[in-house]
Formats: sequence, structure tokens, C-alpha cells
Amino acid sequence: MISDRVKASLKREFKTSRMAQLGLVLVLLVIVVATFAPFFALHDPTEQRIGTGDGVDDDDAGVIGDNDEDDDDDDIDPGDVDDADDADEAESTDRTDVPPLSPIPGHQFVGETEQIQRVDHDDGTFDIEIVETEVHADRAFPLGTNTVGQDIYSRIVYGARVSMLVGILGAGLAALVGVPYGLAAGYFGGRLDDGLMRGADVMLAFPSLVLAIALVGVFRDSGFHTTQLPDPFVLAAQSDTIPNVLIPRAEHVASMPESITFPVTVTLVVALVNWVWFARIARGEAISIRNEEYVKAARSLGASHTRILRQHIFPNAMTPIIVLATIQVAFIILLEAALSFLGFSGTNLTWGADVESGRGDLATSWWISTMPGIAIVIAVIGVNLIGDWLRDALDPGIEGESGGM
Amino acid sequence: MRFVRFLLKRLVHSLFVIWGVVTVVFFLRFLTPGDPTTALVSPDAGQDVRDALREELRLDEPIHIQYFEYLTDLMVGDLGNSMDVLDRPVTEWIFGAHLIRSVELALAATFVAVVIAIPLGVISARRRHQPADYSATLFSLFGISTPNFWLGIMLIIIVAVPIGFIPTGNPGPLFYQALGDAVTQGNFGGLWDWLRHIFLPAITLGTYFTALITRLTRSGMLEEIGKPYVKACHAKGLPETLTLYKHVLRNTLIPIITILGLQLGTLIGGAIVTEVVFEWNGLGQLLIDRISTRDWTMIQGIIIVIGVGFVAINTIVDILYAYLDPQVVSK
Repeated sequence: MISDRVKASLKREFKTSRMAQLGLVLVLLVIVVATFAPFFALHDPTEQRIGTGDGVDDDDAGVIGDNDEDDDDDDIDPGDVDDADDADEAESTDRTDVPPLSPIPGHQFVGETEQIQRVDHDDGTFDIEIVETEVHADRAFPLGTNTVGQDIYSRIVYGARVSMLVGILGAGLAALVGVPYGLAAGYFGGRLDDGLMRGADVMLAFPSLVLAIALVGVFRDSGFHTTQLPDPFVLAAQSDTIPNVLIPRAEHVASMPESITFPVTVTLVVALVNWVWFARIARGEAISIRNEEYVKAARSLGASHTRILRQHIFPNAMTPIIVLATIQVAFIILLEAALSFLGFSGTNLTWGADVESGRGDLATSWWISTMPGIAIVIAVIGVNLIGDWLRDALDPGIEGESGGM
Repeated sequence: MRFVRFLLKRLVHSLFVIWGVVTVVFFLRFLTPGDPTTALVSPDAGQDVRDALREELRLDEPIHIQYFEYLTDLMVGDLGNSMDVLDRPVTEWIFGAHLIRSVELALAATFVAVVIAIPLGVISARRRHQPADYSATLFSLFGISTPNFWLGIMLIIIVAVPIGFIPTGNPGPLFYQALGDAVTQGNFGGLWDWLRHIFLPAITLGTYFTALITRLTRSGMLEEIGKPYVKACHAKGLPETLTLYKHVLRNTLIPIITILGLQLGTLIGGAIVTEVVFEWNGLGQLLIDRISTRDWTMIQGIIIVIGVGFVAINTIVDILYAYLDPQVVSK
């Protein structure tokens, strides 16, 4: 299906283009991180660290208004918090709004968090006060924590899974529907072409995001369909039959979530919204290929339509379809991020939802929204660079016809 | 004559697409599971209340009758009443300030994009493989890869929070009102207020387009620059800037306009997210609000208005295009 000439041209372009190399590195990075998320994550991404703020002692965290005799603990010493390098020790105390480590040597970000404190009076009554406290960066949370004390870095690592899965599966599904549709329309032409492409024109009249929102609105009432994808590494690390020596850091891996929530509805919706771009491209290719000599030859030899479509039209239409599929992965990652940003996802462990979760504290805890967005940009830039590489090497002539939000 | 035939064919096609959009939107609602009145009445309301409501919303009739009635209502511009408490006609909502705000935002973003992108693309093509080209390429790569909701948030953090006078939470005055104040009363405060409000949302929404147009202009220019007519221009001593902007750019623009027509959906989609980020009270914000309250007549109305607008703009672009380039008609 991929000829030697195409391979050679891909190689040539790759060798000369720094951007193509960078793209491949970025995409491989994201895919490796997504695949081996339990090894890369530092903490369980869903684990919250909200304490009473009544002190930093382990025992009295977790219950608001815990009966605590220590009055002098009210004024939290930031240094005290900073010392809690060990994740296990920090687990049950309040670790919300921890700022990220600064890349500039000698510089530190300082965050602030609101904590509920109980102030006991001498007469036995007490008040609940909200006190703002300074929070310092912590090596246990390199990119900081969010408002409920989840580790942002670990959430980004796990978010890569949802983004890449939805992006790749969504583009794949869209191609699966759109390519046969477009090939049939272009190859057979005539009435069938008119009918099929009118349908496609109606689809194109809906901006993708608008249609996606409407569809999500429709499907939401029957519940977002999600499925739990078990994590093979975590299950292996937890099981007794597989010797733990085979898995690096088995104890750490075993403490990670056993499964991730995969948003089925969203994947179907993004495919449903984007298949029509594949249909357009496939149709154009089929029209230009169907009058080639070799197709005419096959036809005069009595080859069936299915055979011609499968053996001749489809392989020769592959190049632009592959380029489009690559660009579509980038688009769908952005679309999924936008949908989960708007709260239409069905799972919270995605980059878009994490950006949204920080919107309330932009002036103070800026990193909560910033960090997951950087991850989106890295992934999408990587995929786009690969798309550019394929486009420059294969020149399919589909500049800009890539779909849209 | 041929142009007239093309015109008629194009218009019939657009009408068909609009009919398709309306039909899809109408039947979308029937995919929603459960009784549509559930979202409207209190849980303890009796069956009689529900039945009355069903009758009022014409839900008790067979689906093809409902569809037919929806179409006939639409012919006279009636999109039904909002199912939310206020019960106002959907058209009153949409064609009030919401639509104007969205259109203002989209136009401002397009303005930002065109003003920045075309010179950037030309410079990039002219200084190929020089630092200016690399910076422009890098910028456009980031531009098409950055989700605009995140870009908006970054602008709030980096620009709005430190500077302070750029508001982020409300949409400010409408442009025509502000302009009216400036013209009739010489009061330019309104215009300044408008500019201050639309500044960040316009950049947020416009960045993707700026990047896209820069890329398209650059690659289109590079393709054109090698053609013989450019050499002819050089040969007769035309200044390079004039050659580039008057001849090469003009030939590059035609395919760019087609692609931009196709990408208009991106602008509309992006506008929805941008409106949410900046609490810009436009159609997108309205759509998101009503999705959560399940106000289906309103949702349908908004999607139809967006779809029809989209089709109308693409039709106009196509017709203009055919008028300017007769080859299109004969194809």
C-alpha cells in the first residue's frame, strides 16, 4: 500500500526537516507517557489532599471541626508545610493550591490557600474562620496541586491517555465511516454521488463544535456512556501470580488507579462530527483515480466494482487520507479538550476539564489552568508537525481542508 | 446566462442544505430519551399538568405532523417559545443582543486575523528561511495548536490580571450603541469601553485564524512566486513590494477565501468557547446555558440560526467567487 517511492520521499523529508524530527519526538513522548502512565505518575491522580487546616499533624486532618486541643497550631508556619516532602506523610494533610517548582534557580512561586480553621474560645464556644495561608512549592508536586490537592503532574500524565485515545480512535472511526462513503460517491458518480454528497453538505453546514455540543446534549440524558479500561500494569503489579520483580517499582504501580474512565460518548460524537471531512477527500481522490488507465484496464478485464474499489481506488487514495487522518487527530484532541472544558465529557481526568477546574483561581493559583494547557499544546504541536512532514513529503494537496471545531 | 443558471443552481442547493439542517435539528430532539416535559415541571406535578404541557408544546401529535408544523412555523420565522421559565419567543432571545454580540466578536476576530496574517504571510514567503520566516512559522504552528479556551485563560492571567483595566467578566456595550454615542454626543468613552472589552476575546478567537491565514498565505505565495508572470513583472521593472502585494497576493487570495469559507465553522465553534471564557453574553454562551437547562426549543433555534448563517455566508462567497472567476461557472 505504501510504495518504495513514498517511503523514500518520507525519509528524505524527515532527514532534512528538524520540525518533522521534533514532531516525532513529541508524539512519541506523549504516547509513551500515556501508555506507561502508572510508571510516570508520582501519585494517584484522583487522590485529594484536603485537610482541616487545623494543623499539619497527620492525625487531625480530614474531619472539619476535629476536636483538637492544640491552640498554638492556628498560625501555620509555611516552613512546616514545606518540610513534608514525603508524599506518604503529606497524604492526609491539606496540600491544596501548592505552587509548581520554579524553573528559575533561586526563585520560588508562592501560592495561597483558604483554609477553614476552628478557633476555640475560653468559654467553650468556637468559631469557624476562613484563613488565607501561604503555600510553598514542594518537590513531591513538581507542577503543583489543584484546589482539592490533587497532583497536577500526575493528572497530566493520566490525561494524556484520554486525549490520545479519543484522538486516535475518534479519527480512526471517522475515517472508517467517511472513506467508504466518499470512495463510493466518487467512484460511482451520478445520482448516488449527488445523494451522498448532499447528505455530506448538510453535515458540513454544522460547525463541528456546535453539532458536538448538540449531540452531547442529546446523549447526556441517558448518561454519558463511559467505560472503565483496566490498566494492565497496575493489575499485573497487584496480582500475586506475576512476580513483582518483572515490573519496575511494582509497589508504586500497584497504588495507581486500577482502571481509567474512557469517554465512549465523546469518542462517538467526535467521529460523527468529523467523518464528513474524510468523505470529501476520499470522493475527490476516487473521482480523479476512476478514469486512470489501470482502472479502465481492470474494468475491461471484468473486475467487479468491489474489487476495483479495494484493489485500485483505495490504495491509490491512501496518501491524502493518511495526511488528513493525522491532522484530524490534532483537531479531535482540541475538540475533546473543548468539550471537556465545557463540562461535556463524562470524565474529569482530562486536560480540558483540568484547565476548567482552575478558572476560579486565575489570579492566585494560575498554575492549575496553565499546566494542563501546556500539555495540550505539546501534544497538538507534535501531531501537527507530523502532519506537516507527511504533507510536505507526499504533497496530497489538501492544505487547510482539515475539518474544524 | 450561464452565470444566472449557476446562481439558481447554487441557491437551490443552499435551500436544500438549509432544509437538511432544519430536519436534522428537528429530529435530534427525538433522540433524547425520556419525556421532554420532565425537565419542565416539578417532580411532584400530576399527570394532568404534564398532559396540558404536552398539548401546549404539541408533543401529543404524531411526529410527522409535528415536523410539518415546525417547518411551516419556521417559514414565517417562528422558532417557537423558549421552554425555560420566561417563555419568550426564541427569536426574541436570539435576535436580541446575543446575535449582535456574537457577530461583533467574530468580526473583530476576523479583523485581527486579516490585519496581522496577510502581511505576516507575505513577509514570511519573501524572507524564506530567514529569521523572520522562522518566527512567523513558529507563531503559526503555536496558533493552530493552542486550544483557544486555554489561550483566553492565559491572556487573562498574563494581561488582564496584572493590568487591571481590561475586564474579563462581562461583555460591555454594543458597538453600534457606542458608535452612536460617539457620533451624536461626541462621547468616546463608550467606544473605549467597547474596545477594552472586546480586545482579549478578539485576540483569543482570532489567533487560530491568524495562524491559519499566515500559513496559507505563505505556502500560496511560495507556489505563485515561481510562476512566469512574476518574472515578467520583475523584467519590466515593477518594484518587488508592488509585485508581491498586487499580483502574487491577489492570485493567492482566491484559494485562501475558499478555505476560509470552509473554516468558518471553526470560527463559530471557537466563538462558543471564547464566549464562555470571557462570559461574553452571545449566542454561544446562550447555547451552553440552555443545554444545561434542556431548553430544547432554544437549542434548536440557535443551531438553526448558526447553520443558516453558515450556509448563507458560504453561498455568498461561492457566488462572488463565480462572479470574479468565470472558470468556476463552467466547471
